[in-house]
Amino acid sequence: MSGAALVWARLTPAGRILAVLLPVLAVGGALTTALLIVFGGAIAATIGANLPIVRFLAASVITFLITVPTAFLLIYMEMKIIALMNLRIGPDRIGPAGAVMSIVHGLKVLMKEDYTPPSVDVPVFTLAPVVVYLASFMTVMVIPFAPELTSVGLELGLLYFFAIGGLGVVGLMMAGWSSFNKYSLLGGIRAAAQAISYEIPLTLSVVGIVILTGTLSLPKIVAAQSGSLLDWFIFRQPLAAIIFFIAITAEANRTPFDNTEADQEIVAGFATEYSGMRFGFFFFAEYVNVFIVSALFSAVFLGGSNAPLVLPFHPEIIINLGSLGIMLPILAGIAPVIGTLVCAAPIWFASSRIKTWQALVAGFLIFGGLSTAAIGFWAWAMIPALGNLIWFLIKTFSLVFVFVWMRGTLPRARIDQLMGFAWKWLLPASLLNIFATALAVLLTTSGGN
Amino acid sequence: MTGLWYVLGFAGAGVSFVFLTIGLAWLISHRVRGSRGKQLPYESGIDTYGDTHGRFGLSFYLYALLFVAFDVEIVFIYIWALNFKVLLIDGLVSMAVFIGVLLIGLAYAWRKGVLSWR
Repeated sequence: MSGAALVWARLTPAGRILAVLLPVLAVGGALTTALLIVFGGAIAATIGANLPIVRFLAASVITFLITVPTAFLLIYMEMKIIALMNLRIGPDRIGPAGAVMSIVHGLKVLMKEDYTPPSVDVPVFTLAPVVVYLASFMTVMVIPFAPELTSVGLELGLLYFFAIGGLGVVGLMMAGWSSFNKYSLLGGIRAAAQAISYEIPLTLSVVGIVILTGTLSLPKIVAAQSGSLLDWFIFRQPLAAIIFFIAITAEANRTPFDNTEADQEIVAGFATEYSGMRFGFFFFAEYVNVFIVSALFSAVFLGGSNAPLVLPFHPEIIINLGSLGIMLPILAGIAPVIGTLVCAAPIWFASSRIKTWQALVAGFLIFGGLSTAAIGFWAWAMIPALGNLIWFLIKTFSLVFVFVWMRGTLPRARIDQLMGFAWKWLLPASLLNIFATALAVLLTTSGGN
Repeated sequence: MTGLWYVLGFAGAGVSFVFLTIGLAWLISHRVRGSRGKQLPYESGIDTYGDTHGRFGLSFYLYALLFVAFDVEIVFIYIWALNFKVLLIDGLVSMAVFIGVLLIGLAYAWRKGVLSWR
């Protein structure tokens, strides 16, 4: 046995993967760099000539990349926040305060056995998670994260959202029907009944906003709320906001309307027969759904990317890096060293019990934090898209927190209460809202003439 | 037209992502043959009996019928809402008549007990 084979035999599986991947990555990186140097000009010219295609690719990749960390973050939020509300500790082993736990969960689901029971209807059984995931993934496309950061500002954005989002229930129904399991069938039918009942108040509640703004495009609806805080539709259409919030809770199958997957009644509903990654996609889609319904609520009712308060001054910091010339790389190399030493010095002098390396590490962290804050402040002041995006995410994640909070607090509604509530209360209330808005618009318009 | 390409492209990207991930999971997951019990549908440990796709509660069907009526209404009401600032009083009156007819239907269903779960 040669030396290389001996080393290979002693490696763990992870080590073997690394041993294969690292040389491949190194060679690939070198080749890419060489290609970029040789053909860089041609590539830049091609990109310049095909801007729409490049924009489409960037939009789809970024949208796809948004869904994955969002789902992991939401799963972690749910585990940790509900644990704290229940006076438990929650995840605390992997990563700081268990923050990597949900990623490990995802990897675990990926490596589990993906079993297809012999009694199921295989094509439908396999396609169901695809439909469910697709329905939530494709709605991310119209969400206006910021005026400049919308992957596509469809003119019919709101209608598109409801149409594609409503397709998710087809996937749940497919899963329930093809599983040949009574719990799954009941879960699928419940999902369908619940989704179609709440679809009506959901779509009717925003009609008041459509009357006021005269458009279905989400960026334009956000732009219509760009004045003061009172221009937000949650203050101009409070009844619609309440109906909409209840309806999106039901559409996303969240507590108190999670009858479709009620663990204590029908095991896991439509997902009973699923395992492995196909099961994972159902829950992946569910968490993405929570994010997108929160995003839709904040875009339509909470002013989207508009700041609630406008600062009385607008800082303008113009730094011309080009004027530094050759000093720029030298400064960039020296500044961290000097900054670290400067920040470490007071800590080092403060107490003789602090070792030198501890003071250096602390100084490096403090300097890193300070410079990040400075660059962040500069970016916030000079790039409006960043501030808009931050406001949008703050609003969206506050709503996600409310969803998690409700799950930690409320018991599940009974199915008859659930269905009756949609038809007997929400539907008349949303019609009332439409006519009240229409009447108000009529009165103000004729008064103006 | 751009919108349509975006929709189709996103659909393609989503489908390929799901199938790639399921394929990856198929490659790295472990498989065990298991016993006969593994092949049965999981119904809380009780052997399955009867026809799974047998007779089913009628309430769901009645709700679905109501849904169809109101969903068609939504198709009209959106177009009406978009043009409301042009139509004004005419639009309000005609939509009131339209919704009124539907509400009579809802009241009839309510009276007949369709909305209470049985």
